[in-house]
Parts: sequence; C-alpha cells; structure tokens
Amino acid sequence: MKELDELILPDDLGYTKEHEWAKLEGDLVVIGISDYAQDQLGDIVFVEMPEEGDSFSAGEEFGTLESVKAVSELYIPLSGEVVAVNEELEDSPELLNRDPYGNWIIKIKADELEDMDKLMDHDSYLKILEGE
Amino acid sequence: MKHTPLHDWHIEAGANMSEFASYSMPLWYPQGVKKEHDGVIESCGLFDTSHMSSVLVEGVGARQLLQRALTKDLRCCFAGGRPLVEGRCVYGVFLNEKGNLIDDAIVYQRGDDCYLVVVNAAMGGVIAQHLADFDISAALTITDMTDRLGKIDIQGPAAARILKGLIADPERVFANMPYFSFKGWFASSSASDEVRCGGIPVLLSRTGYTGEFGFEIFVTPQHLEKIWYTILEEGGERIIPCGLAARDSLRTGAMLPLSHKDIGGWPFLRNPWQFALPSIENGTYSKSFVGAEALAKVTDCDYTYAFAGYDPRKITPGVAADVVDVQGNVLGHILSCTTDMAIDRVDGGIVSIATSREDGRPADFKARGLCCGFIKVSEEIDYGETVFLNEGNRKIRVEIRSDIRPDRTARCSMETMFTDARGGKG
Repeated sequence: MKELDELILPDDLGYTKEHEWAKLEGDLVVIGISDYAQDQLGDIVFVEMPEEGDSFSAGEEFGTLESVKAVSELYIPLSGEVVAVNEELEDSPELLNRDPYGNWIIKIKADELEDMDKLMDHDSYLKILEGE
Repeated sequence: MKHTPLHDWHIEAGANMSEFASYSMPLWYPQGVKKEHDGVIESCGLFDTSHMSSVLVEGVGARQLLQRALTKDLRCCFAGGRPLVEGRCVYGVFLNEKGNLIDDAIVYQRGDDCYLVVVNAAMGGVIAQHLADFDISAALTITDMTDRLGKIDIQGPAAARILKGLIADPERVFANMPYFSFKGWFASSSASDEVRCGGIPVLLSRTGYTGEFGFEIFVTPQHLEKIWYTILEEGGERIIPCGLAARDSLRTGAMLPLSHKDIGGWPFLRNPWQFALPSIENGTYSKSFVGAEALAKVTDCDYTYAFAGYDPRKITPGVAADVVDVQGNVLGHILSCTTDMAIDRVDGGIVSIATSREDGRPADFKARGLCCGFIKVSEEIDYGETVFLNEGNRKIRVEIRSDIRPDRTARCSMETMFTDARGGKG
C-alpha cells in the first residue's frame, strides 16, 4: 500500500472526502477517483456507470466500482447531467488503477459551475487522508 | 495483532496488510491481486500461510481418537476403499454432537501412532482441547502447534519444476507423489524419507487451497524466511508472491469451502462437500463418529450451493444482502462472494485462461472475471437454475453451479506437470 507521500495528488483538481476528483474542462466537469481510492481498492475489475442524460445531485451515488475486495459506491462531487461516460472502462477497468487521473469516469454538465469551489483542494484533501 | 515470521518481508514488499483471524496478513502485493490470481493458474504463486494452526497427536490410540473425532473413515478414505497410511493425508471435518461444524482439517499420517492435524488459523487450541476432551489414554499426547510451525504454499503448474532445483534428490522425492500425499518432516530426522529444501528439513505435501497443482511446505518457524527467499530466488520470473485475496478468489473458483464462512455452526449436510463424510451403507454411515447420530436425525436443514454470475459484479455478504428467486421471494443468504478473475462466459458456459483452444477458449479470449461463491438457501435448487443476489437496489443474476472454474490442475499427475508447457520449462 502506498504511503501518503507516495500518493499522486495533482494540484489542479477538486477532491471529495469520498475520494473522487473533479476538474473543469471547458464548460464541462470531468470526474474520476483519486490515487488513494484506487490504491485502497486494489485491482478494479468492473465499473458500473450511469447513462448519458442521467442527472444527479451532489453527493448522490452515480455508479459502483468492483474490486476483488469490495464493492464501492461512486458519489458525484457536484450536481449535474451526465454528458459522457468513459466506455473504455467497460473492457479495461484496470485503467483506473494504472492512471486514475488520465482515465476519467464521467463528464457532466454541472448545474452550477461555482460548486467547484466547494470541493477540497490538494492540501485539505491530504489532511483528510492523514486522518484515515 | 499477531505476526508470522515473514511479516517484515510483507511490509518491505509493500503489501496491503489486513487482519485475518487475529494475524496481520498480506491481502495483496503491489503487482495486484489479478496478476497474483492469474499467476497461480498460469505459472506459480507463493503464499505465506503460517497463520494456520496444527495439532500433533502422538501415542497409542491416536488413530482410534481421530477415527472417532474426524468425519472421514480412515479405514477406507481413498479410491478403491484403501485406508489412510503413512505418507498420505486426508480432508475431513470435526463436528460437535449436534452435527454442527467445529472446523475442517487435513490429517497427515506420519507413523502408526503419529498424526499431524492441520486446522484453520486460531483453531489449534480449540481442536487440541476438543480432542483432549475425549476419553483418551495417558499414553496419548496432544500438542497445539500454533505458531510453532511455519507454512508456505507453492501453487501452480510450475511449482514442481521450481522446487526441483532446490530439493535434494528430487527424483526420489517426486516419485510416487499423488495428490494428498506427503514426504518428509519439519524436524530433522535420520529417516530415509527426509526431504530437504534449500538444505532445510521440510514436510512437503501435495495439497493446497487454490485448486491448482502445487505443494504446502511445513517448516520450523526459524527456517521460514530462508525457505521463502530461496524459493522466490529460484522461481525468478516464474513465481509471484500472493496474498490472502488471491487465495480467497482461487479457492472459491475451485469450489473449496472457507471454514466458519461456507461451512459452520449448522448441520454438515446438503452442501457440496459431503465427500468429507463416510460413505453410507445400508442407510447408515460406514463408521460412527461425533455428530453422526445428529446428522442422521436431521429432517430439515438448508442447502448450500455454489454459484457463478455473468460478469465481475458481486454483493458482499451481510445482513442487508439476501438471495431471491425470479419472483423476488427470499430464499436465503450469501456465504461467500468474490470474483474469479481468470474466468468468463463464452456462449453461456464458463471458460478459464487455462482452458485449451480445443476445449473452447476463443483466440481473442480476455477474462473479465466472474462473480462466484456459495449461498445457503431453504429449498432445493437444480444446477443451471437462476437466482439473484440482492442488496438494496443492487440485484445480480447468478447461476447455481456444480462447479466453477474449469481446467484446474490440482489433480494432474506429477509427470504431466513436469512436461506441461505453462510457466516455462525448468
């Protein structure tokens, strides 16, 4: 298992306490899971994703990750409508282990882009991890 | 938490550690559980299983005691009605008077009056006490060997080819060594059957908990680290260290029960492991044993079945999870549920990465893995029938199965494994 100082936590992402990340890309928000999440889960063997057009409120479950160890829910960092799902993950869920930031899970059209400001920055997220 | 002698190695290797039966054990190493699981099927894996307990039963009356306490009939437990003899070992279970499981075990016959009973982690004291509670003679010694015996499992088609380079006189050792037999002893002896691995005396047993060809190696704790390093070095690219997660997914796909999960404090009946009981002749068991009378009287008890799903999705057993039929009626609950990462569905059937092309493995086969495990339900269900694992808003369709992962190698002959192409020639 990775030590905290071995985790990759990019500075330009917003994080949640459930270990998702979100990043602004044009007028869309790209969502994935953090290095900590993939390291804790171990090999991810299946990603259950929503359909394009599904809408969720911030904090709502939008899918699940199956690792050998457990089934984990995915929680959406901010409210919005799904406009793209990463279909590559259907055949190759292990991409999330290999590069959790290069491989996103969904893209959404956020209801309020300002909600990005409510997410944790790198330092606040690291503090949460120090407590786990 | 307790540690095995390899604890520092696990930490150094970057293992994800977790508590299991009060021991700190590796769940997986940085290469990940899928590589470990597939590695055992395709080449070879090495497991630290020193958390497991054992009990030594020595002296006049040892066999009679075990014949009474263990379910298996030691007089006729091998093919053709042959008895347990020196150098062979047998799987059975210990039941209480109610016919409920205390633990499962493999019993090794070392000599006429000497048996090693290998049980689950934390169960050495329980089984030692259970055996001592029988009316036994003063000449009989029962020793709880918990933490006094190290064990590592080398599992996979390349296991014998790797060990061949480390074992003294390998031709002698590997000759006449069928499934469920063993040679040597973990303490040094002058016996002609001594087995030395890397110079260290070992008990080498052709058994395991993965469904694949391989060995369990018993050694005194002070020699454990040296054996572990020596085997890893000899195996090189052909061997991968494996944690408990791969052990669990491999054993589930191989239809092997986990004690106190798939079998437990309920009557040992109507499950896939009835071979652990004596044969029934004229309506009665071929021998009397503790629990037999209770089992004979049971008229109604649950059924335990293996299942496999259609993709890797699973549901973790728990109070909120149950098993339902097509109409949604609750049938029972989940005992074990994991993903066997080496298998997938092809035309409805199950194919493994070990399945040959002739037997139906497509050229472009990529196993996504299948959810599989065991359920305990209140009614009889036919193989091939569909049930659902259910938890909250998740519902997973699974098939009741008589077997899960095909083309396993555990029972392959030693000769086959020396010529088998998998895992490289060695």
